[in-house]
Amino acid sequence: MRLQGSIQHKACADGSYMKEYQLDEPLSKEFFEYLKYFGRVTALEEMGDGYFSFEKPNWFSIKGFAGDQTVEVRFKRETMEITTDFLYLLFSSFKEGVDLTPLREKEKFRQARIAELLK
Amino acid sequence: MPLIYLNNAATSWPKPESVKAVLAESVALPVFGSGRTTGTQGIDYVSLAREKAASLFGTDAEKIVFTQNATDSLNIIISGFLAKNTGCHAVATALDHNSVLRPLFEHSRAGRVRADIADFENGHVSPDTIADLLRPDTKLVVMSHASNVLGSLQDVRAVSEILADKGIFFVVDGAQTAGHCEVSVDKIGCDAFVFTGHKALLGVAGTGGFYLRDADSVAPTRFGGTGSRSSELYQPDEMPDKFECGTQNVTGLAALAEGISSVQSLGVSAIHAQAKQQIGYLVRRLQEAENIRIHYETPEVPVLSFNIDGLSCEDVGFILSRKYGIVTRTGLHCAPLVHEKIDGGTGSVRISLSCFTTDEECRTAADAVLEIAKNAASRINSA
Repeated sequence: MRLQGSIQHKACADGSYMKEYQLDEPLSKEFFEYLKYFGRVTALEEMGDGYFSFEKPNWFSIKGFAGDQTVEVRFKRETMEITTDFLYLLFSSFKEGVDLTPLREKEKFRQARIAELLK
Repeated sequence: MPLIYLNNAATSWPKPESVKAVLAESVALPVFGSGRTTGTQGIDYVSLAREKAASLFGTDAEKIVFTQNATDSLNIIISGFLAKNTGCHAVATALDHNSVLRPLFEHSRAGRVRADIADFENGHVSPDTIADLLRPDTKLVVMSHASNVLGSLQDVRAVSEILADKGIFFVVDGAQTAGHCEVSVDKIGCDAFVFTGHKALLGVAGTGGFYLRDADSVAPTRFGGTGSRSSELYQPDEMPDKFECGTQNVTGLAALAEGISSVQSLGVSAIHAQAKQQIGYLVRRLQEAENIRIHYETPEVPVLSFNIDGLSCEDVGFILSRKYGIVTRTGLHCAPLVHEKIDGGTGSVRISLSCFTTDEECRTAADAVLEIAKNAASRINSA
């Protein structure tokens, strides 16, 4: 799955920065299952085709409905420069049976930079 | 999916047709103003708006000052008052918006004031709590007329009575009441009453103002051309020129005058009655779900804050927006001290109505929130 570009963006009142992205394929329950390896996922599976939100504190949150081809991402503004490319990687790396090790390494590296930045 | 706009405590929408018409009319006409030779072709929208605002608040037009919004008004009043009373003690409340708290705390940090915050219980700041915080050097009390998070109306008249014989300057922030509640500045007994144009007065963003009982009580904090006493190098003392300089937002004030006309034509008491009935309905419906926490169950202005157990307010707002087309507001609503108490600082979902909200929209909103709550009860969270 790929992020094809931001179709809407705004600075939010809570200090975060929201971007809505167009996807090249619909969101799925499986995608959010995969995201559980990287943060907290809340699922309301009976809400429409399923509502999912992903929370990775100090990085970003992702919200969307299964079947939709757009997704809302809210970045923590202070760390956005460090986390944006990881967001793209997170989407593009998603496929069944993928080896998470390289992604985990990148996550670990960025987490150290975020911790340093927010110190 | 039709849009259901329930974020009127931030900015009201839609606007009356007459407001849209006057906006178009005002930009089509040359600007009328002192020193301009517009002749008979222009309309003096600024004076018209001043007269309208004065009639709405039961005062004289020369006591009304126009600003950009309520925040601008509060900055002018608080900073101008402290310029004349540097080092004094002030009291604000935990229900106040950042438009009160930030000016006060910035002045406090700079050593110009010492401020205490009056706490609230069940949506209300007791006048006695404010009385208990008063000191011999207290010169200023600022408080919201109604909470923008809880919709609770404050007993500003009782506070005013406590302050009356103490010579304490009393500022009431009416951002959430002007247009929703009958306001008589004389009955309240306040020294200043702040309003904004883009909420229940049905005007557009970029307009607001304040009533000031005694112009001498506040020093001007911005200076410039007024079109009056132009040979003098100091700011005029007369109202409203003491606080208004530079070219006015004429188009915005034209809309404000028309917005107030619409409010007066509908009748503030009728607007208030409809709002109470609709917000009461929403409260009753949301009370049907055990996992919905309503933070104040008897709102006097049409603002309702709630959370659904196990879901963030942002999740609820997102679902309402994307699945039902319902616009609400989520988060801290610029009133952080309220949230410290009601939700631990995480923020709430806020539904807020206008005089144009229909009963059907309220029914749809209640059904939507209940459906989300039902689903939230069987949510799945990862570790």
